[in-house]
Amino acid sequence: MVAGASSNDASELLQQQVLDSIARSRPLNIVGGNSKAFLGAVADGDALQTSNHRGVISYEPTELVITARAGTPLSEIEKLLAEHRQSLPFEPPRHSPDATIGGAVASALSGPARPFAGAVRDYVLGCRVINGQGQQLSFGGQVMKNVAGYDVTRLMTGARGTLGVLLDVSIKVLPVPEQQITLESTIELPAALATMQKMKGSNYPVTAACYHEGKLSFRFAGSEAGLAAAIADLGGDKTRDTSFWDELRDQQLAFFNTDQLWRLAVPSGTPALDIAGEWLYDWAGEQRWLKTTASADSIRETVARHGGYAQLYRAPESLQASAGVEHPLPDKIMQLHSSIKQSFDPHSIFNPGRLFPGL
Amino acid sequence: MSNPASDAPAGERDVALACAILKQRFGERLQTGKSIREQHGHTLSWLPNQPPDAVIFANDSQDVADIVSVCAEHKCPVIAFGVGSSLEGHLNAPQGGVCIDMSQMNQVLEVQADDLSVRVQPGVTRKALNTYLRDTGLFFPIDPGADASLGGMAATRASGTNAVRYGTMKDNVLSLRAVMADGREINTASRAKKTSAGYDLTRLLVGSEGTLGIITELTVKLHGIPESIAGGVCHFPDVESACRATIQTIQYGIPIARIELLDVSQVIASNAYSKLGLKELPTMFVEFHGSDSATAEQSELFGEIVRDCGGSDFEWTKDEAARNKLWQARHDAYWAARQMRPEAEAVITDACVPISRLADCVEETRKDIEANNFLAPMVGHVGDGNFHTMVLIDMNSPKEVAAAKEFSERLSARAIAMGGTCTGEHGVGQGKTRYLRDELGDTVDFMAMIKQAFDPDNILNPGKIF
Ligand SMILES: Cc1cc2nc3c(=O)[nH]c(=O)nc-3n(C[C@H](O)[C@H](O)[C@H](O)COP(=O)(O)OP(=O)(O)OC[C@H]3O[C@@H](n4cnc5c(N)ncnc54)[C@H](O)[C@@H]3O)c2cc1C
Repeated sequence: MVAGASSNDASELLQQQVLDSIARSRPLNIVGGNSKAFLGAVADGDALQTSNHRGVISYEPTELVITARAGTPLSEIEKLLAEHRQSLPFEPPRHSPDATIGGAVASALSGPARPFAGAVRDYVLGCRVINGQGQQLSFGGQVMKNVAGYDVTRLMTGARGTLGVLLDVSIKVLPVPEQQITLESTIELPAALATMQKMKGSNYPVTAACYHEGKLSFRFAGSEAGLAAAIADLGGDKTRDTSFWDELRDQQLAFFNTDQLWRLAVPSGTPALDIAGEWLYDWAGEQRWLKTTASADSIRETVARHGGYAQLYRAPESLQASAGVEHPLPDKIMQLHSSIKQSFDPHSIFNPGRLFPGL
Repeated sequence: MSNPASDAPAGERDVALACAILKQRFGERLQTGKSIREQHGHTLSWLPNQPPDAVIFANDSQDVADIVSVCAEHKCPVIAFGVGSSLEGHLNAPQGGVCIDMSQMNQVLEVQADDLSVRVQPGVTRKALNTYLRDTGLFFPIDPGADASLGGMAATRASGTNAVRYGTMKDNVLSLRAVMADGREINTASRAKKTSAGYDLTRLLVGSEGTLGIITELTVKLHGIPESIAGGVCHFPDVESACRATIQTIQYGIPIARIELLDVSQVIASNAYSKLGLKELPTMFVEFHGSDSATAEQSELFGEIVRDCGGSDFEWTKDEAARNKLWQARHDAYWAARQMRPEAEAVITDACVPISRLADCVEETRKDIEANNFLAPMVGHVGDGNFHTMVLIDMNSPKEVAAAKEFSERLSARAIAMGGTCTGEHGVGQGKTRYLRDELGDTVDFMAMIKQAFDPDNILNPGKIF
């Protein structure tokens, strides 16, 4: 066991705050590092700060598992893992240095490695939560396989705090590749999309693929010798510098300097979409960032026609209110969401409306 | 403690009426013969048989929706049936009702090669899927010992020998269509599979053992057939050194695809059943997937680890016939074990612990087996910390049955105390409901609330999990 830098168990306090809110029927906005305050509508309510509930509870490098309190900064976790040449394989974006592991799990955002390494949900093994009755409950565990009952851990992942307060999370980690190489080439969009598609199905150890400003970039895990075939096949410039991928992951590229940003998720093989604006293609073309003045309806309609969906990732409050953040769900699916919400949070205390209006 | 999901409103159930209505709709496809009902209510579990009142062979999702609608109206239990290889009485019908046999829904609907995925009906078995994919350069890696149906595998969140590299059903199901308790069919995700807005309904249904919805279609991930596959066998003086070798392999980041342990008793059983001629020592079967040079490099590295840990005789080969023989023998471990005492039933345990505790857990279990004088071969998916003992008992001896139950209880408690679980891959069904509360405490009541929200009349596979 390796202890974290600063450690504090505030679960009793958080539980008390939840019980008070239930008693007073006051909603709570659960806040970690508040690095993703922009994501989803934030309702009127009292803040529930998890950042005092922090510290690594256990980390066994030989087990490839870390368990940490939800308010632990991502930076602290990543530093500790790096000391053992391990990392969070899904590369959660660090929208600010204060970003916490709880926020990363609750928002389920994954970085450039997503199509190759998997998503947050693929690595979360277990969690402890406070539900909307004020009870502390544990789900899953620290073992790699567990089929004891419903997979509630993955329901909590991505629920954006609407189902309960995450207290601790156990996450599977992986060794960092010994070497990484990036290949870059200048190429037109249609060819770039086709190449990304082809590489995804190849035997090469691709770990990221992005097209931005006329440049197609691939990241590979492995040595130059081991990658000789890929290098010959693709051509372009090679570099060991990984800063582009960090900036892409954390949205520090100049492209992201905007207060109105759409995130489009589309099926593999989707061609360029006919919406005017500036585009950035990540995840081998399956996640597309868009800056545009086109109307929300026309964007959602175009994306839906291709079997995808559009999320209003960042927006001024007025637009967020009129357009909604998420694509509305089919009725029956929304009903199931409501019954899940009702089971977890019968008094509608947690983050009302943060994920979908009325939820 | 109150447990809403098991307080079935049995008084209001009208199974006979539901069956009569369904008979009119389905004619010969609804069967009520004793033997067919018993086949569908028992299968490979050592638990007593509890047959359903009728078995219906569904042809498509409309059939499933129609059946569930009728059953919903009359609060009649509905149990989906894949191939019946589950081991914890998942298919027993303690309150009677209708069993939907999914075996006719066995079409591979669409291979999306670009997207490394395939859409299938739930009755397709894992072997049939891989046969279908033969010419595509792709394969589906999840391989429980039995040739299970994809629907059953999703419903039990199954895994197999490849899990250490490719994950389990939870990692490989991209989306589902399912008929819910009110008879309506849902689609859990859009075609953009890499992300979905909202709660993860796919993973809630995966592993729900037919208690939340009936899966009518799955989209699962495929993987490229590796350019090269190298596999081999090695021996260890004891289980502890084998576990140590496993931990080192994983920690070095060697992307091992399969790493399976057989104890001495299982080696004896498999030598007899599968004609292996292995030394009677704790034995590991391993496999590496990758490019030609990568698998060679990985095999060499692994060989060094084996020597460091006191193991011996590591030999690897790329020969397909030799590898197939080895893995067929691994998949037949259950049948090999049963052959050691043909008249007996097998009580199968399924503990999973953090790998650092695996050696301790196996060792203590070994002692327990010896103290009880059981014949109980053991196999382990050691890369995941998961192992099974197959306790061969005479069902006519109440003493043996009681001893096996107590053994299984002690093993579950041992695994839970070590930070693990009583079930790593077989699921809860009826057999493990008792341990679930030991492991999860009040969380069980909470899960029961989800069940009640999805299925208020408790018609979907009642009496399981809770
Ligand atoms: C020799 C042997 C070796 C095994 N090895 C492994 C192993 O290595 N790993 C492992 O994980 N398991 C293993 N198992 C257990 C078993 O094979 C798995 O649990 C398998 O997933 C069950 O699939 P099935 O098609 O037989 O399902 P069934 O037994 O028919 O059903 C299992 C459960 O799923 C439900 N179900 C079935 N189809 C559907 C559907 N379409 N929709 C909703 N619910 C459904 C049923 O109601 C039931 O609750 C082994 C079993 C045997 C006999």
